[in-house]
Amino acid sequence: MGARLTLDRISLSFGGVHVLQDVGFDIEPGSILGLVGPNGAGKTSLFNCISGHYRPSSGSILIDGVEVLGQSPARLVHHGLARTFQHPALQLHASVLDNVLLGGHTRLPGDAVSWALRLPYTWRAERALRDEAVELLERQGLGWAARLSADELSHGLHKSIELCRALMMHPSLLLLDEPAAGLSHGEVEQLIATVRRLRDEDDMTIVVVEHNMSLIARLTDRVVVLDHGRKLMEGTAAQAQADPRVIEAYLGAPDAAA
Amino acid sequence: MKGYDAVVSNRWVRLGAFLVVLVVLAVLPLVADPFTNQTISHIAVFAVAILGLNIVMGFTGQVSLGHSFFVGIGAYAAIIPIRDWWGGPLAEGAIVIGFVLSGLIPGVLGLLIALVTVRLRGLALAMVTIALPTIGLPLAQKFSDFTGGNEGISIRRLDYVGADGQVHKGNPFAAGPGLENDQWQYYIVIAIALAFFALAYFLVRGKYGRAFAIVRSNEAIASSMGVSPYRYKVLAFTIAAVYGGIAGFLLIVWGQFTSSETLAFHHSIDLVIASIVGGAGSIVGAVLGGVFYVTVSQIMNGLQLSIYTTLVQGVVIILILFLLPGGLASLPRTIRRLVRRGAAGHSVEAGHAADSASGNTKTQVQPSEERNT
Repeated sequence: MGARLTLDRISLSFGGVHVLQDVGFDIEPGSILGLVGPNGAGKTSLFNCISGHYRPSSGSILIDGVEVLGQSPARLVHHGLARTFQHPALQLHASVLDNVLLGGHTRLPGDAVSWALRLPYTWRAERALRDEAVELLERQGLGWAARLSADELSHGLHKSIELCRALMMHPSLLLLDEPAAGLSHGEVEQLIATVRRLRDEDDMTIVVVEHNMSLIARLTDRVVVLDHGRKLMEGTAAQAQADPRVIEAYLGAPDAAA
Repeated sequence: MKGYDAVVSNRWVRLGAFLVVLVVLAVLPLVADPFTNQTISHIAVFAVAILGLNIVMGFTGQVSLGHSFFVGIGAYAAIIPIRDWWGGPLAEGAIVIGFVLSGLIPGVLGLLIALVTVRLRGLALAMVTIALPTIGLPLAQKFSDFTGGNEGISIRRLDYVGADGQVHKGNPFAAGPGLENDQWQYYIVIAIALAFFALAYFLVRGKYGRAFAIVRSNEAIASSMGVSPYRYKVLAFTIAAVYGGIAGFLLIVWGQFTSSETLAFHHSIDLVIASIVGGAGSIVGAVLGGVFYVTVSQIMNGLQLSIYTTLVQGVVIILILFLLPGGLASLPRTIRRLVRRGAAGHSVEAGHAADSASGNTKTQVQPSEERNT
């Protein structure tokens, strides 16, 4: 089940710099929201607030009606939240499979002593998780890479692996930070198909930060446009692309449109 | 190389190799001379200590320069109950109590210290861990009634009342009939060391190994995966303390003696050096580190060049850091990589191409015109 995410008047400042000011929006469960805006608009900062890496100076963040502001990122995982990063920081010397298995961490039972003693239920859970991860990789067309070390693979594949790692968390709310950056045309098409499937089949609520407006237009149900830490507008991607304020924010002046 | 990889990664081959090692370890003391047995036991003692260090430093990325503190405390926790109770009604039970306390007391101390200190990063944590032996050593000297101070505690000749009602002198770790002392002590040390190696081996594969590794490499990602960096650092530090303490117990089995000197800071540095030389991010590396720790000084003593021991250790660690940053344990992997690179194997690309050919629509990287519009 997709989660409902509600942000209300989120403000964040570092020193005297206001990174976010009174940003708020509400996402329907099981829909895709695009978070767009020029560089430095505060998109990733807002992501970091939602995922608990930054603590907003004021405002409120509700996941399914529960206030989660101020909770640590590790706690937020238990509210069904998963995210990816602009730069997919994989364990380069670990196998692709091990990287993906990390996403299943909180679903594995048992304390350190049980695992050190290799109690049967621990390795049974490990084996089940391993099967699930292999299946997920195969569904993403990455089955062939499971045993390879991550540093042998390309940037585009790292992004796919990172997405698999996040999906292993069985999220109800998925935050994707520039998922298409650096991807080839074919990889972008695959990404779009995957994200749509997550919404339609798994009923996930998804927030996407992305520069690429044409991708946003194809992928999202609604967009929120940020500029200089403020919400500029909210609506469909088509409305955003037609909005003179958005065009100005992106290009500086209307006549500079390419 | 393919064939070699297949053989090495075959689980039956691995199991077979492990069983061979077990048999050799079991038979060796019966045929080897006492000096060899004692040397191998000594290596096992420090391999366990280094294994603890590897878990906190190599696997979890926390620099600990106070490991000798836990070894020293573990040695005291083992030897004091034996000194005080072995000759009494507890008899052999005192050894069991010593064993349990040697893990428990350092473990609890490690936990308490970690709860306060692991929030510190990098150098600050290293500084705090330096304080442990620096404070522990004078404390042990001050309470010399209990700890024996600089004289230390020896349990090689303890009083006990025999079946004949007479008071005898005895060694709690003397062998029964049929075995020599060095053989008996070897078996105890090796059995316990093997057990703790097995525990660590199981722990760092699977859930906890992955969690330690991500805490070490990227705390932001770790927390996004539900792995609290704080909790896992505390856990790793505590485990390291327990392993240090158990190594302290094994040191008592091996030598039946400890003193405040066991806590000394320079032993911590020696352990860190041995850990890096052996391979801090590896279980096998702990064994190799133990071999390095024990044999280098033994060889230098044998050559009557012991004043140059630290010099040799220094040269070795510099060479390792430049040539083999993963330590001796990474030697096979490094060689394999070099060979593979030499053979210009494009196994990755080949696999990728084969996958595309079999109906997968992934295309090669090409400039995307859509980006940043």
